[in-house]
Amino acid sequence: MSITINHVTHIYNPGTAMAKTALDDVSMEFHDGEFIGLIGHTGSGKSTLIQHLNALLKPTSGEILLNGENIHQDKKRLKEIRQRVGLVFQYPEHQLFEMTVYQDVAYGPTNLGLSEEEIDRRVREVLEVVGMGEETYEKSPFELSGGQKRRVAIAGILAMQPEVLVLDEPTAGLDPKGRDEILDAVQEMHRRLGLLVVLVSHSMEDVARLADRIFVMHQGKVAFSGTPKEVFSHAKELEQIGLAAPQVSYILEGLRQKGFSLPKDIYTIEEAAKAISDCLQGTKK
Amino acid sequence: MIRDITIGQYYAANSLIHRLDARLKVVAVMIYIISLFCIGSVATYGVAIAALAAVVVASKVPLRFMLRGIQSIFVIIVLTGIINVFTNKTGTPLWGQDWYLITTGGLSMAGMIILRLIMLIIASSLLTLTTTPIQLTDGIEYLLKPFGKIGVPYHEIAMMMTIALRFIPTLLDETDKIMKAQQARGADFETGNLVHRAKALVPILVPLFISAFRRAEELATAMEARCYRGGEHRTKLNRMAFGAIDYRAMAVCVAFLVVEVVLSVLL
Amino acid sequence: MSEMIRAEHLTYEYVRTVEEEKGSRSETVLALNDVTLTIPKGAFVAVLGHNGSGKSTFAKEINALLKPTKGVLWVDGMDTSDDELLWEIRQSAGMVFQNPDNQIVATVVEEDVAFGPENLGVEPEEIRRRVDQALETVGMTAFRKDTPSKLSGGQKQRIAIAGVLAMEPECIVLDEPTAMLDPMGRKDVIETIHRLNKEKGITIVLITHYMEETVDADWMVIIDDGKVAMEGTPREVFSQVEKVKGFGLDVPQATELAYRLRQMGLAVPKDILTTEEMVGALCQLQSTM
Repeated sequence: MSITINHVTHIYNPGTAMAKTALDDVSMEFHDGEFIGLIGHTGSGKSTLIQHLNALLKPTSGEILLNGENIHQDKKRLKEIRQRVGLVFQYPEHQLFEMTVYQDVAYGPTNLGLSEEEIDRRVREVLEVVGMGEETYEKSPFELSGGQKRRVAIAGILAMQPEVLVLDEPTAGLDPKGRDEILDAVQEMHRRLGLLVVLVSHSMEDVARLADRIFVMHQGKVAFSGTPKEVFSHAKELEQIGLAAPQVSYILEGLRQKGFSLPKDIYTIEEAAKAISDCLQGTKK
Repeated sequence: MIRDITIGQYYAANSLIHRLDARLKVVAVMIYIISLFCIGSVATYGVAIAALAAVVVASKVPLRFMLRGIQSIFVIIVLTGIINVFTNKTGTPLWGQDWYLITTGGLSMAGMIILRLIMLIIASSLLTLTTTPIQLTDGIEYLLKPFGKIGVPYHEIAMMMTIALRFIPTLLDETDKIMKAQQARGADFETGNLVHRAKALVPILVPLFISAFRRAEELATAMEARCYRGGEHRTKLNRMAFGAIDYRAMAVCVAFLVVEVVLSVLL
Repeated sequence: MSEMIRAEHLTYEYVRTVEEEKGSRSETVLALNDVTLTIPKGAFVAVLGHNGSGKSTFAKEINALLKPTKGVLWVDGMDTSDDELLWEIRQSAGMVFQNPDNQIVATVVEEDVAFGPENLGVEPEEIRRRVDQALETVGMTAFRKDTPSKLSGGQKQRIAIAGVLAMEPECIVLDEPTAMLDPMGRKDVIETIHRLNKEKGITIVLITHYMEETVDADWMVIIDDGKVAMEGTPREVFSQVEKVKGFGLDVPQATELAYRLRQMGLAVPKDILTTEEMVGALCQLQSTM
């Protein structure tokens, strides 16, 4: 599945005193199987944008194409589009409502009117992908830890078998361990299910580690886009709009200024350690 | 969208009406609404409409804010009108027969009821549009104080109102979010019969209640941490003060009442 | 320096019911287990721990929202298990919570800031003075007539801080105040509490799981499984990368990089926290090669 966002503008409360342009002529293209990082502040328009992807919001102008087809072409197909583009909201655990983990994950597939065997197969599969063992199936979702609740909620979306998974700050409010568990699960989904993943995040470090391509949004527009290397090479400009590249890229920049010959396209600790070590060993010889 | 619902929305402006004491405004609106149901002649209605129009202009609140309140209960207004048309059979018959007989009496009764409802809504939304929720609850707390002797927990009522007003926008936002989240899981709130639709509400109501309880608990803890222990020993940032402008406004209210009573007696 | 908070063998246990297939049973949970700890007046102390480590229980103990089941906790010399002192303790050790939405009571910013002093029975003129000053201190004066629900998370959290300030406390305990904020809001809040500490001498106890917020603290405590697991200056604590990670926590990227380089056989110092220190250390290393 590929998504094309074509000159999309969205204005809240158009024609009133409270009118607010949340998206201003945004164009993006996501390809099949990609891992996309979407970065921006609260109010940059990223939350508005992702609600367009599964037709919860309609563009004021412009169009959204799924595999080349306009999603607003046929009103009757909205349900199908919402199934194909799975949207995980912030704090998704707030949508849990069933008595057991199993039943909650089964809610979506049941709405699709699937057979019981198919529902069972899907529930088991997605709970495994997010790392929830069989011993948790009959537990109340409200007894679980914060990170577990969130993984169950994400499984609830996965059970719809979407072709695209959009996650809005899936690590908000979690501690480092919970964060790593969620990100590992997301990576697993991307890898195993071959989904196009759109990850909305504040954390440059997380996005740097996971995404193939990054879009930086600012004031309703795309400020930067490209591979992590390309985007983080604009460290200064990112700072001007109140975002920052990962700390490690500042260390490398500082070293380059002191005359170290280090490549410019490094933004993870592993790569940095290797590059610095190579560089210093090189001097030794 | 659900977020468009406005309850007790305050419109910030610096007008004469905004500056009036909340207690006076509450009492005035109550008297006005009671008077609406006591008057009947064209002249008394004329005076009531003129008075309301004058206050609306003086409030500097755009009329469409008040009309929005009417919009939300438009169906109820129309229904009340229709019921009156068909239940009142006085006056000259105009059209139809038996139960669907329409008479001049029915029509004028319906017109009057609709007019009354609209005026009632405008008057009460004027109160909430020109008075901050805090002033409003303070005013109501003060007005209820005499009933404290017979066991009315006036401070608690006021505190509950404050908290309710504070959390309405938060919970509406939350409802909107939960609805969207469940829609993303294939929930359907728009089609199917009544039973089906009622069932579709469970995935919204359960998370909403859980969240409301969690918020309530956290809020209670936060209030305790800020030394809240009921109404005793409590002071207020803003003392309510009845100024010259309030006495003048009171005189205007009394004048309105006298005019209405005199007109009702004379005509 | 005198003590703001002193905990001696502070223990808090509660009974929890566990649902099982055969029915429910109850088990005792030790949320805090024999914690002994001193926080001097005027200090900025960061308490770090993963979710469920007991750090929030510790915060609630300081505010006397919970009472020790064993051991003693003194706040400014007051024993928190003494009911008579409850309000005095809560006034001198104010508290800010995680969710900005669930601690704001009033519908107008300045009315909310006034809530604490109103409860304390402070005279209206004095409340007015305190509210104005508190809003000024957190830089929210321009929003004093606004509705809190229209503000951003970071702004709401600063209002909550102002609400505590207006009670004129000696100490403020913040329980994960930035967990629900975006990076900008987070920065605002952290800068605000550092300023309170430096300019007003208010003791700060910052409870968090974000390591980057603890780097500038005077002292750092890691709580794990209800116990004090590590204690020291941030530099001392973070230099033990493996141990810190073992508690499910992060270390600053510079510290982590130093750790990896050391593993690769480079003689980089252990206790590096910032970008500048890392660059400096590597330059020095290069010149010796």
